[in-house]
Amino acid sequence: MMTRMVMQRIGIGFATLIVVSIIVFIATSILPGDVAQIVLGQSATPETLAALRAQLGLDQPGYIRYFSWLGNMMTGDLGISKAGGATISSLIGGRFGNTMMMAGFVALISIPISIALGLWAAMHPGTWLDRLVTFGTLSLISVPEFFIATVAVLILAVELHWLPSTAYMTGEETFFELMKALAMPLITLVIVVSAQMIRMTRAGILNVMSSPYIEMAILKGVPRGRIILRHAFFNAIGPIINVIALNLAYLVSGVVIVETIFAYPGLAKLMIDGVQTRDLPLVQACAMIFCGTYVILILIADVGSILSNPRLRNPK
Amino acid sequence: MKDDKSKSELNYKDLTQSDKDLVAKLVKGGFSRREVLKLSMVTGVSLVAAEHLLFNGKAAIAATPKKGGSVRMSSNLHGPDDKLDPATFTSTIDYTRGRATYNSLIQHANDLSPQPELAESFEPNGNATEWTFKIRDGVTFHNGGKLTADDVVYTMKRHQGEDSTSVIKSVLASVKEWKKTGPMEVKAILESPNADLPTLLGLFQTKIVKNGTTGYTQKEDGSLEQNGTGPYIMESFQPGVKSVHTRNENYWREGANLDACEITAITDPVARVNALISGDMDMVTQLEPNSFRQVESAKGVTLLSTPAALQMGICCLKNSEPGSSDDFVKGMQYIQDRKRIVKRILKGKGSLGNDTPISPAHGKDWCSELPQREYDPDKAKFHFKKSGYTEAELFVAPVSGGIEDICLTAQANCAKIGFNLKLKKVPTDGYWGAVWMKEPLNVVTWNMRPTANSQLGIQFGPGAAWNDTFWNNARMGELLAQSLAETDPAKRHAMYCEMQTLVHNGSGMVIPAFSNINDGIADNVMGMPTVPLGQLGACEWPEFIWLA
Repeated sequence: MMTRMVMQRIGIGFATLIVVSIIVFIATSILPGDVAQIVLGQSATPETLAALRAQLGLDQPGYIRYFSWLGNMMTGDLGISKAGGATISSLIGGRFGNTMMMAGFVALISIPISIALGLWAAMHPGTWLDRLVTFGTLSLISVPEFFIATVAVLILAVELHWLPSTAYMTGEETFFELMKALAMPLITLVIVVSAQMIRMTRAGILNVMSSPYIEMAILKGVPRGRIILRHAFFNAIGPIINVIALNLAYLVSGVVIVETIFAYPGLAKLMIDGVQTRDLPLVQACAMIFCGTYVILILIADVGSILSNPRLRNPK
Repeated sequence: MKDDKSKSELNYKDLTQSDKDLVAKLVKGGFSRREVLKLSMVTGVSLVAAEHLLFNGKAAIAATPKKGGSVRMSSNLHGPDDKLDPATFTSTIDYTRGRATYNSLIQHANDLSPQPELAESFEPNGNATEWTFKIRDGVTFHNGGKLTADDVVYTMKRHQGEDSTSVIKSVLASVKEWKKTGPMEVKAILESPNADLPTLLGLFQTKIVKNGTTGYTQKEDGSLEQNGTGPYIMESFQPGVKSVHTRNENYWREGANLDACEITAITDPVARVNALISGDMDMVTQLEPNSFRQVESAKGVTLLSTPAALQMGICCLKNSEPGSSDDFVKGMQYIQDRKRIVKRILKGKGSLGNDTPISPAHGKDWCSELPQREYDPDKAKFHFKKSGYTEAELFVAPVSGGIEDICLTAQANCAKIGFNLKLKKVPTDGYWGAVWMKEPLNVVTWNMRPTANSQLGIQFGPGAAWNDTFWNNARMGELLAQSLAETDPAKRHAMYCEMQTLVHNGSGMVIPAFSNINDGIADNVMGMPTVPLGQLGACEWPEFIWLA
């Protein structure tokens, strides 16, 4: 049952990737200008445009370019950046590591904090602490991340000089120096993703708390802490895992604003650059990574919620 | 004479360190009367003595470059399309890496005069149809080879021919042939006389690469094939991330004062300013007008504002409506509140435009005799009415800092006289291919060209590839060609004045203002050049700067 579901999901995942690649291809082609025009910019003349298009193989019809890209992709060859001439794998390589490192650190910090705070708030509903957490998270969800980032830079970097204002890495720093360089984006992202996860943990648990079997446990005199940790938490874990998965996917693909403000060389910014230069192979490669991340994380979340739920684990 | 006495008594070297810092700051920022006054008040010396002190200090500071240290420089744009091949350079970060890594035949001085670089000397024949360049002896490439005439001829030929994708192919189109005339001598044979050729050979894309290469190239293992002669050797290059450069110990001349420099970009303007103020970056390019005050009031950093001819232009295409109507163009020109634009939008760091692409920064070729066009709503109303149009749509992209505000100001002023100027906002990516020279009304910016002739020719030459208002004037074509061969300064000036008058009165171009080049640098960065052709002294800084 489980294996079948996983296989099915992987199959659907591949289909999704193909569909996404077609949509990305068409969308990029609809945008005004091609990579030759963007690269030459204001200094383009019809002759240099034609010469560059021929060099880049842009004089081929669209579908041929798509299928040749797809064919190379299947053999693991990501191709060459049309805009700069570097191989896509060399462009993506370091940045993929950076993105994963950032996402990893943020997850390591924010998931324990969020679940702990969410549980805490659920254990003491209606107290001033719960209200504080609720108020804090609601406010932080409503504030856009660029605002949090900019305020953090103004206070911590420009005024107090405690932390660097950009996540500038030399590549030779110690772990402590690395943490210092990454501190600002880490703080910003932890705030942004934690708020949502705290809310969801609290809501999920309180939702389960109103079900009859919890009422039974309360009537039997089980302490509230034990009810939540032993009985409620595992039943609420499905939606929590899903929110965590979505937030992780966001950390991989959607942090372009934070990457821009802190000049952090990550994947999301690379994809935007790719779109701006109409660098199709680059955009496609990034889209595949992002889409693949979503598919895998959602799959893990689904498997997780099935495993945590006996009714789903053993269907009749 | 009291002042003479104080002059001889007060010298830069006698100052306390804090006063020295103040002098250094003023010297680097360029100083106005007001700042001299400030210095006079702070140090308690007379005004004349303070002024003397500044010039004295400038000389003292300029005379003593120190070796050592490293800097980080941030441009405003970078991405996977960062280049290593000079012929394809298009952005400030490319130009800067080019300056650090390579040399050109010719180098621009701060006043734009051509100076010998890899060319030891350059001489025209009698009518400037041939130029002879003597190549400097004893220059070696970073990977060891010796520079010869073959490298120069090879490099220059890359800008010619059908397969060339060189950015400056059309700029150098007047050269018929590059010819090796000796082991260390190269001749350029021209189609038509061009007295300005050496100046053009200082352009960013003309960097000399080794015969048979495209300059630095990335090898299979990611390391770099080092084919440049410049002051710094590029150690690593990650497009869209950064590059690291270390001093070329075998550099053929003085310069290369730093041990190392890192070149990167921070695309967000606010983040860029913050990085400068918080000390993460030593130099940043392209400060936006709304950050001037923040930088000026911050400790340890200086705003460098270099007057330049960065035009903030609105193109009215003469080959389509409504730009085909001269009255419509006149209306658009008279509705520009130029003084307000310079004062409010550019915060004073700019100069008035007179609907020609030539600004005082072009030096002697600027036509000061041409009367300045002023804001005149009545005349604008009259011309709009005569043109028969009551509305028009202008395509606006943020191609330069402030252009959107200029268009909004024009829109508001048009509304006051009953003309409906609609603005259509479009993004910058794809702008040059899809909007510029296509939509009847659009905005434009141009990097300043080193000569008035190239600036006028590129944009207003009849049939020129980038004649972006499609204004073709036969007399303009004649003057462009004649002025290149003219050696008498008075006659030459008269020709340039006539050209500017033609553009001012006849073309479809509206240029209400020129922006200065505005960058920020840390106070300990010394020796910054002020070539007005691009950011940070036209990216010439790697050759000159040193750390105090």
